[in-house]
Amino acid sequence: MKLSLLSRLAWGLALALVAASGCSRRKEAVAPAAAATPPAAEVAPATATPAEAAAQTGPPLSYELRLGRQVFQHYCLTCHGETGAGDGFNAFNVEPHPRDLGDPAFQKAKADADLKDTVRRGGVGVGLSPMMPPWGKTLTADQIDQVVGYLRTLKRTDAPPAS
Amino acid sequence: MPLRRLFAITSILFFAVLAISPLKNALRPYRAIQREYAKLGAARAKSQKLAQAYQARPVSIQQIWLPGLQNRVDRCTTCHLGVQDETMAGAPGVFRLHSRSFHTPKDFDRFGCTSCHGGQGLATLEEDAHGHAENAGTPMTPLPFIESGCGRCHQAEQVAGAAILSRGRKLMEKAGCFACHLVKGHEGFRSEAPPLESVALKTGGEALKRWLKDPKGLDTNASMPNFHLADADIEALTHFIFNTVPSRTLSEKIRTAGEEKLGDPINGKKIFAEARCISCHTVEGKGNGTAPELSKVASRNTQPWLLAFLRDPQAFNPRTRMPRFGFSEADTRDVVAYMVTEFKDFEAPKEMLDPVHVNQSLAEKGQKLFRQLGCTACHAVGGAADRIGPELNRIGDKRAASLDFGKRTDVKHTLPAWLQAKLEDPRSLGAGLKMPSYGFTPEDNRAMVTALLALGADPVPDRYQHQPAQRASLVPGGGVGALFDRYRCLSCHQIGDRGADISTAPLTAEGSKVQKDWVIDYLVLSYTIRPILTDRMPVFRMTKEEATTLAQAFETFYLDPSIPEDPFAGQPATSRDPVEGKHIFDTLGCKACHIQGDKGGYFGPPLNEAGRRLKPGWTYKWLKGPQQWRADVRCPNYGLTDADALKLTSFLQTLVQKPAALKTAKGGGR
Repeated sequence: MKLSLLSRLAWGLALALVAASGCSRRKEAVAPAAAATPPAAEVAPATATPAEAAAQTGPPLSYELRLGRQVFQHYCLTCHGETGAGDGFNAFNVEPHPRDLGDPAFQKAKADADLKDTVRRGGVGVGLSPMMPPWGKTLTADQIDQVVGYLRTLKRTDAPPAS
Repeated sequence: MPLRRLFAITSILFFAVLAISPLKNALRPYRAIQREYAKLGAARAKSQKLAQAYQARPVSIQQIWLPGLQNRVDRCTTCHLGVQDETMAGAPGVFRLHSRSFHTPKDFDRFGCTSCHGGQGLATLEEDAHGHAENAGTPMTPLPFIESGCGRCHQAEQVAGAAILSRGRKLMEKAGCFACHLVKGHEGFRSEAPPLESVALKTGGEALKRWLKDPKGLDTNASMPNFHLADADIEALTHFIFNTVPSRTLSEKIRTAGEEKLGDPINGKKIFAEARCISCHTVEGKGNGTAPELSKVASRNTQPWLLAFLRDPQAFNPRTRMPRFGFSEADTRDVVAYMVTEFKDFEAPKEMLDPVHVNQSLAEKGQKLFRQLGCTACHAVGGAADRIGPELNRIGDKRAASLDFGKRTDVKHTLPAWLQAKLEDPRSLGAGLKMPSYGFTPEDNRAMVTALLALGADPVPDRYQHQPAQRASLVPGGGVGALFDRYRCLSCHQIGDRGADISTAPLTAEGSKVQKDWVIDYLVLSYTIRPILTDRMPVFRMTKEEATTLAQAFETFYLDPSIPEDPFAGQPATSRDPVEGKHIFDTLGCKACHIQGDKGGYFGPPLNEAGRRLKPGWTYKWLKGPQQWRADVRCPNYGLTDADALKLTSFLQTLVQKPAALKTAKGGGR
């Protein structure tokens, strides 16, 4: 009887082991996927074609930032310039000249809320030059968030650019 | 005893087998992911209560069921728990908040996930759901092509917010895909390729052979693709083309043009510049580029043909986009004299333009080839065009397993990769393929693959389809219609949903927008309205009578009933105060973009002649919301009150200076 109990136990153990090993193999196979944060390398080629990647230096922009860049390039670039340095082709007709948005000191001094407010209400709205128009009725709140997000990427880290 | 033992063993076995399923369920990866999410959420939560809510979440499969949208069941949110959760902004990987776009995150319950991203919505294991396995049924759409999802519902050519898709759709039209491939909505497509019967009048044997070898090699703007023809086939085709008999009227035009003496190239150069040919053509790459590059044009077209074509392009190719200019006989001779002296390929051999002595048996061989290669799809000789390519209507849902990758081992076994390879090098994917090469840039390729992936097999229910409202696109007949046709207004301008977009000024509401006297002057002698634009309206040498007819047609047909003829009617006299208006003009900073007086920006049109050019009703309506004409207008909406908009209008009406171009030039007449 004792022997039979032992053998029964042994059988049970064996079965459990089989089941467990089957499951654990499964678990291992899935575990990396479960913990997976889509690795950066997998996302990078997806967001930019090689040509685009070559054109940009830094890491590829997120979807929101790319939308922000679109807004910037459509509405802001003519005066504020490609890099936000205030050297767009129309800047020289505008007195006072547009601000250098890439200036680290400027970027540090202004909170996102300030920048959004200026974009929304324009220069007159915040007591500056009327040459900066108010965009609050042209752009959606989302677009203003996106363009301010993109402005942050224009901050220069190095010394002032050679112009 | 043995029986009892057997019973014991089988019962244990039975329980073990029973246990497998719940065990498997308990160990499914999504459970671990959901526990991880609860932990992360609790750590990120802003309040104790929220944190507890995260921890109290039951672990279970989540799904979005859309019986009205192809009965989709999307369980993606079982793992992607944070897509709608603001707390997860910037969270790592699987938990992160979905990026904000036109439909996300607000419309998850309307569209689910797979309608844009593809993949298997029902599956809850990553590999199955994402379809990463080779030849998976419907794998996820790779992110570079994600805008194909937009195109499944948005059928219009141009989709706001989906720039890549829109570009792809436009390119498909431009490349002439629909000439060979049937695509819904483009059944009536006709290529602009010239009829063959005038080719023999136009060029010579050597030039034609070079063209057939590589069209883009002769003309960088050529829309004809490269068919990679063998030299013997080129020879046969050349004989066939030179064997076609041109109509008597065309031959006569060329013959008489051939008897004319050349004019004065210096005057020709002046006329060439003044007529603004590069608003459509390019010269050494400079110009719009929708029409042929001209820098070597005289080496591939005979002089009599240039002369005859310039006088009446539409006689040689009824579908050409080129207008019939009103140059005098002598002016045309001068322009052609300029072209034959300047626009030459000095490295081309002398026999470029020599005619071919037709060999009948070669010509017959060429005729067969012409049909086999599918040339008739674009250059229909007399009859209807043949579509020799497969229909593309359901291509976006084709399974990778049903695609032929030929000998190419470097192409991933997925549909987007196959399409990319096909557009890049069409004949590399098997033997005997006929599709020619277009030399698309990588960006163009990506845009076109996006547009192709949008052609799904399962039509989206009507409720989900987005068709922009059709706008009236009337083009009158009779004398006015003949003028529209002659000057090919629709090659550059839009009228309702018709026409092209080289010009930024649609004619749909032209009669409500501009003053009749101004438009007559402008048609006779057009000048620069927007200094930043490179493509400008050509000087057609239109007569004053023709210009008046067109202006009258604008006043009659192209009106917008929402634009008042007189915005000041019924308004207090103070609304007409231009001094107040000037003050508003200055405080709004209009000068940042517009020149007024002698100062201002170069972005919008100068306003010194606004009062001569624009009707007050239109100016008023514009000021009340510039984006109502076109969503991407850059002039900001200042949210002006009616009273302020009227005052500003009244100020702009006082600006009636005549532009310098009109003061000096005589204009008009031929």
